[in-house]
Amino acid sequence: MTAQAPELAVTGIDQEPVTVRGLIAGGAALLLFVNEDCPTSALAMRNLGPLCLGLEHAGLSCTAVFEDRLEVAIRVARRCGWTGRVVSQSAPYATSRAYGVVSVPTAFLVSRGGQIATRVTGWDQPALAGLIQEASAMTGRPLTAPPATEPLRKPGCSSKAAIDPELAAAMEGNSNGDELEEMFERGWTDGLPVIPPTPERVEKMLGNRDGATSLGVVPPAMGEATLARLAACAVLAGCRPEYFPVVVAAARAALDPRFNLHGQAVTTQPAGQLIVVNGPVRHDLNLNSGMGVLGPGNRANLTIGRALRLLVSLTGGGMPGTLDRSTLGQMGKIGFCVAEDEEGSPWEPLHVERGFAATQSVVTLIGADAPLSISDHRSRSPEDLAYVLGWAAATQWSTNWWPLHEPSVFIICPEHAQMFRAHGWTKQRLREFMFDAVTKPAGELRRGETTPFVHAADPAAHIRKWSSAEAIVLLVAGGEAGRYSAVLGPCTGMGYQIVSAEVESR
Amino acid sequence: MSLAYVSPFDERVRAPEPLAPRPASLNGLHITLLDITKNRGAEFLDRIETLLLARGAATSRVAKEIFSKPAALDLIDEVARHSHAVVQALAD
Repeated sequence: MTAQAPELAVTGIDQEPVTVRGLIAGGAALLLFVNEDCPTSALAMRNLGPLCLGLEHAGLSCTAVFEDRLEVAIRVARRCGWTGRVVSQSAPYATSRAYGVVSVPTAFLVSRGGQIATRVTGWDQPALAGLIQEASAMTGRPLTAPPATEPLRKPGCSSKAAIDPELAAAMEGNSNGDELEEMFERGWTDGLPVIPPTPERVEKMLGNRDGATSLGVVPPAMGEATLARLAACAVLAGCRPEYFPVVVAAARAALDPRFNLHGQAVTTQPAGQLIVVNGPVRHDLNLNSGMGVLGPGNRANLTIGRALRLLVSLTGGGMPGTLDRSTLGQMGKIGFCVAEDEEGSPWEPLHVERGFAATQSVVTLIGADAPLSISDHRSRSPEDLAYVLGWAAATQWSTNWWPLHEPSVFIICPEHAQMFRAHGWTKQRLREFMFDAVTKPAGELRRGETTPFVHAADPAAHIRKWSSAEAIVLLVAGGEAGRYSAVLGPCTGMGYQIVSAEVESR
Repeated sequence: MSLAYVSPFDERVRAPEPLAPRPASLNGLHITLLDITKNRGAEFLDRIETLLLARGAATSRVAKEIFSKPAALDLIDEVARHSHAVVQALAD
């Protein structure tokens, strides 16, 4: 065989075009035609792949010519341990056609003169060892052949170039050939990339649950929350299947009429739905209750919170800018899930306060605004610290809007919690201290937005920031170092209650 | 390879509810004014009521339990039974 090697019509990772001339510059070139769907292609890449770096240094360039999109090619090559060059061609696979490839893998040895010296079809270890030996003669340097591992030979699969061009184009998928972009086109996103909810992924998410089971309708557009749709949201969000019981519990709690998700989903307020996770499931799923608990970094926290928000905005139609009328929004509306640091807390955890056993895994849903950080590195008594924490909430909702009926959530960091532990403060004592400490005379609150309660009160009467101590929710979470707690403002005017739901154990 | 995705949406098609016929005149009609209990909504309804009465309509007032929740079905039934038309007010 002495035919001239046809030029390559391919896309590579680098900007520079990939040419036969460039590939043979070191002495000779190995072209391995492969595609994603073919196990024999994977076998060839796995056996030849680790050798490529060494072959390239010895003058034989190695290029995997994929019949797949470049991002697919890169992923497959990486998975197979291919250390050579990766290039991609799209339908109708002109390069495969030009080389007369009818099955993959097919390997070509291209000489220094740009001619096809040898062709090996399928996985054929002895023939490929011969090809490498021939290449060694071309480069004048010893080259390592693939080891004689079983199977020595294996037939290949059909090249996509051998399939009818229209069929091949259809197999490439959607119009722009990119599943992730298709999700954006469909509007199945919160603005960030999502994982496409293929039936296989949704099935895995569901486990052996019946996808037709309904959890009820999701306001505001009243789409029915079947488990299949909830699983699709969990896939889109990036959840692992083991997270799904927590997502289901969060959805059950959110759809409880007492939570008034309808009001929360459409309000002009910024509030999102905070998910607090308690109990053993925190450890099972490696949920973060420690450093950076309110921020990025943990898949379980971020994707569980996001799955619930996708349920509200996609299944429920509460998409920002349409039925979600939030004036500003806030980042917690992308997803907001925290685990409580029960082990670091001096107090009973939230779910035990709410009547569950410590051994139960429970999610608790709270309508909450974005967190406000509270630095206190200098208080030397629990009274001073409680005062600083409580007053940080004084301007919540609005500067002069006193009292608040709806819950404010304080996230107490471990170092602050330690102060209360050292002085024997119970959770209730802290709550009542804050409730009593944050007061102002009504006369000082009569400016701008304020409440009828303030207007009706004697100007000298002291008004509390909260209408009851129970409106102060206390959690312990955060990194072990640093004296930063936080308070999350309320979602007001909803007539809603905090709702908890147990996570099913399977 | 998957042929389709599992949609997160409720894809069922719902027939749009047709608008009720518009009255040619307000004279002699009973108009219910529904206060959703948003701040100052009642003031707005007061003004609307004055204008309706001047055009010969009879009026009555009802209120939702809270603005952030859908009206109770009983309330909607009552309004539907007794009214030719309803005005809801949103204010802040």
